[in-house]
Amino acid sequence: MITLESGSFAYDDGPTLLPDVTLAVGPGEYVIVAGASGSGKTTLARLLAGQTGGDAGSSFRGAITLDGETVRFDGASTDPRIDAAAWSARVAYVAQGGWGQLSMMSATVGEEIAFGPANRGVPAGELRRLVTEVAAALRLTDLLHRDPRRLSGGQLQRTVIASAVVQRPRVLVLDEPFQGLDDDAAQDVAAALAGLRRDGTGVVVCEPMLPRTAPQGARVLALAEGRRVFDGPLVEARRAGLPRYGIGTAGDPPRPEQGAGPAPVDPSAPELVAVARVSFRHAHDGGGPAGDAPDGHAPDGGRAGGAGLSGVDLSVRAGEIVAVRGPNGSGKSTLLQHLNGLHRADAGAVTVGGLPILRQPTGTLAATVGYLFQDTDQQLFERTVLREVAYGPRAAGLAKDDAARRAVEVLEAMGLGSLARSHPYELGFVQRRLVAVACLLATGPPVWVLDEPTAGLDGPTRSMLAGLLVQRAGEGGAVVLATHDASFADAVAHRTVWLEAGRVRTGDAAPGA
Amino acid sequence: MPRRRIYDPLTELLAAVLLVVLVLVVNRWEFSLAVLVLGVLPAVLLSGRPRQIGLAIALVTGPLLVSSLLLHGLFFPEGRTVLADLGIARVTAEGLSFAALMGLRMGVFSGVLLTAAMTLDVPELLASMTHRGWNRKLVFVVGSAVGLIPHVALRGQRITRAQQARGLVVGRGPLSRFRALLTVLTPLVIGLLVDASERNRMLEARGFSSPGVRTSYLPDTDSPRQRLVRRCMVAAVAVFSTVWLVASP
Amino acid sequence: MSSLTLAPTARQRPRRLLIGLGGALIAATYLFLVTVQPVEIAGGVGSAASLVTLFGFLGGGALLVGGILPMLSTSSLVVMPLGIALNIAIGQIAGSLGMQIYLDAIGTVLVAVLAGPAAGAATGALSNAIWGLFNPFALPFAAGAALIGLLAGLAARYGAFRRVYLAPAAGLVVGAVGGLVAAPVAVFMFGAAGTFGTNAIIAVFRSMGDKLLVAATKQGLLSDSLDKIVVFVIVALIVYALPPRAVRQFPFARTHRVLGQRTASEPAGGPAATVRGDGAGIA
Repeated sequence: MITLESGSFAYDDGPTLLPDVTLAVGPGEYVIVAGASGSGKTTLARLLAGQTGGDAGSSFRGAITLDGETVRFDGASTDPRIDAAAWSARVAYVAQGGWGQLSMMSATVGEEIAFGPANRGVPAGELRRLVTEVAAALRLTDLLHRDPRRLSGGQLQRTVIASAVVQRPRVLVLDEPFQGLDDDAAQDVAAALAGLRRDGTGVVVCEPMLPRTAPQGARVLALAEGRRVFDGPLVEARRAGLPRYGIGTAGDPPRPEQGAGPAPVDPSAPELVAVARVSFRHAHDGGGPAGDAPDGHAPDGGRAGGAGLSGVDLSVRAGEIVAVRGPNGSGKSTLLQHLNGLHRADAGAVTVGGLPILRQPTGTLAATVGYLFQDTDQQLFERTVLREVAYGPRAAGLAKDDAARRAVEVLEAMGLGSLARSHPYELGFVQRRLVAVACLLATGPPVWVLDEPTAGLDGPTRSMLAGLLVQRAGEGGAVVLATHDASFADAVAHRTVWLEAGRVRTGDAAPGA
Repeated sequence: MPRRRIYDPLTELLAAVLLVVLVLVVNRWEFSLAVLVLGVLPAVLLSGRPRQIGLAIALVTGPLLVSSLLLHGLFFPEGRTVLADLGIARVTAEGLSFAALMGLRMGVFSGVLLTAAMTLDVPELLASMTHRGWNRKLVFVVGSAVGLIPHVALRGQRITRAQQARGLVVGRGPLSRFRALLTVLTPLVIGLLVDASERNRMLEARGFSSPGVRTSYLPDTDSPRQRLVRRCMVAAVAVFSTVWLVASP
Repeated sequence: MSSLTLAPTARQRPRRLLIGLGGALIAATYLFLVTVQPVEIAGGVGSAASLVTLFGFLGGGALLVGGILPMLSTSSLVVMPLGIALNIAIGQIAGSLGMQIYLDAIGTVLVAVLAGPAAGAATGALSNAIWGLFNPFALPFAAGAALIGLLAGLAARYGAFRRVYLAPAAGLVVGAVGGLVAAPVAVFMFGAAGTFGTNAIIAVFRSMGDKLLVAATKQGLLSDSLDKIVVFVIVALIVYALPPRAVRQFPFARTHRVLGQRTASEPAGGPAATVRGDGAGIA
């Protein structure tokens, strides 16, 4: 149905990617393109989608054959230009993150799905029929009247998929469609894909790791640093030793280099985080400034703003790592944001690093509490990685040169030294997350608070992060992390606090030490 | 509860604009006041959301009225009838009446247009523009901008919080504010541009550049009769204005 | 030719007639207001003047937009809503704080620098038209906003954003022109009512005996210049902080080397040479 034969691909003057990589996708097939950060899987997905990047300065040599029609590229300016509209009618592409793929001009999910056919002048009656059909296939019928800008992560992902496949393409290509979704939402998306495959659509999914579960007969094309390292059935891929290329299996425990689990906590160590009987209600019921949207997207329209808190206690000692878990909207982020003053408790008391959080500006707490947001991109603003990492130490009062030296040390220690002069936003998602972690390290606060730190990470980075957290605790810091990643929490945390509807669920959680 | 919609958004907007034109043409305080009391007031009360609209009108117009009153009430060098001399400032009758006239005009202007705009259903307006065959690029820019405004504001708030978590403290001085503005604006703009470049590809893939007429998922609320009414309204106002302006001294 | 590829096509030509008419209408309106009408304001509120203001500037702005839009590429088109939303979001905040400057052109100038004068002008005009839905007083200033976008784009094209110290100078000039154009609108439509900050400046000139139009023009020259200096500097600092790849996706910024060396080539030894895979980045 579609066959991609890549000779080579290069961004600007960058290194050559995808030499001699061939991928053919037939009707109803499920192909996983797996690779760590920087492996070239997004490039591959975009090539399948007909985005050869000739207009953006990159050059592609190779050929793409779609339904028997072959388009050849020689990396020259005379290369054919792909008609994106005609191409997308046969190969639909869903890029990473849902927001950029909303037209922003549709007030309802129905309009958003109809956007493509409406552009092509499909008459109104036919539009309705198309939308009804695709909505039924993706189980979106109940959401057709909702505002697409106020959906939860899984609903948004399905809406974007529906908008892409309303033209009934032969192939659907998705770049990390499960990133940032909790289990239920991921299952909904997987079910939607299964429905499309039953109708004969070939599905290509890019993933940073091999999935724990996948449909029968799934194939894997594994990439590492732009090259093919494996091509075959998923069952064989699991035995092919891919972890040496940084391609683990989702849900596996992280493998930090230094030592195994966290060191035991000294019961006499000082208490660095003390949350006592904290209650909190969000100011606006109707979707106010919610810092705790499930995945950096709009808050779930149903319970906008996430849950409040009622009577929550939490105590974390120096050297201790505590995981906070619970379903979306249970108040995890809300609790975390009490620790650095982004939220102020309505009742109860919060003390961090011996400092009671009262009315002082949030910014003054940055030297005591380091916070890693789930959506890292809201935190970075400098034009080089070096300046970015040096910002924290500078704000904490270090001289310019000392701050820069400190930043270089941290970047070298994390193996990011070669990126010091890059622009943070020209890095991949995983590297940007690492830069944000480097900022935490450089500032050196005793307390670390991390919101879904492993979402979207590849295997090596996830293991490295586990190592950093254990190391931080070993140096006498305290770490609190909210996460859906069970195996990560089990591997690094001393204990887990379960939240449900803004309360600590007792029974299976050890009481505060 | 929102008011039940009877007319197409284009008809309602045109009616509001023509009313403003009439107020400017007639240019008598009696007429402006009549429009305000007999037109705007009932419309606001019947809108189904009188409090929001009333508040919006007050917030938008109030500061302008007060500062206009202060400006013309105290500083009107053309004024001859001095009511009070306050040194550099003089309260004159001419100044006060000028401020009153201008205030009334501003009240009508914002009252009529805001009421029309705030009872307007933007998706319906966009659908109506599409059904009438307006340029699809215009429809996209307008629709997308209106959709983005709350998103931009929300994202700005989130970024502010994220930067505070990294140590941003906004001081009182202008330089500190300027810096704070930059630390928030830079990631905001970068994030929006990243989305925009993705949206660029999405639009191409969804056939936005296709030739021909776009269609709309939403039903057409317009009718031949309303189109006729719109033409008649424009014609009537044009004729009346010409006659009025020529006939009046 | 394959059904999957595009034939090389010529870009759509701008509708020069509409653009010319729009520009002429705006210029004529301005000249009429400044040369013919100033006497009227002393005697009364002036009906003809406000009508001419409304129709001349709004109609001119609409013609400009109608002429410009068909020629814009999709890449220009997708940044315009962003610019408009930025204008309105920031302008609302500045306005509600009663500041002496408006800061409501950051988006317009940003679009003008990245996508060119035409896109800038359309962004300015549409921005005020859409803002009119929340604040009708913004509506009559649409033509002035279009002019700001146009001039900012031209300034960018001729290198005003290649050096950080050139940006405020360009802002000063653009702001002065903008202030000149905005003053009659404010005077003839609303008796020069503005925020407390701007009206205080007018009051100073009025107390020295200036006519309202003269006082408002002087205030416009002062406030708008200051405002545009600040806006141009902000936009310059933002675009310098943008990833080069983000800038290079705009043909205007690329061909006219709007940011000078910053985007002309990859910085020497640029580690942008790292392999890029999963970017939500701008690749």
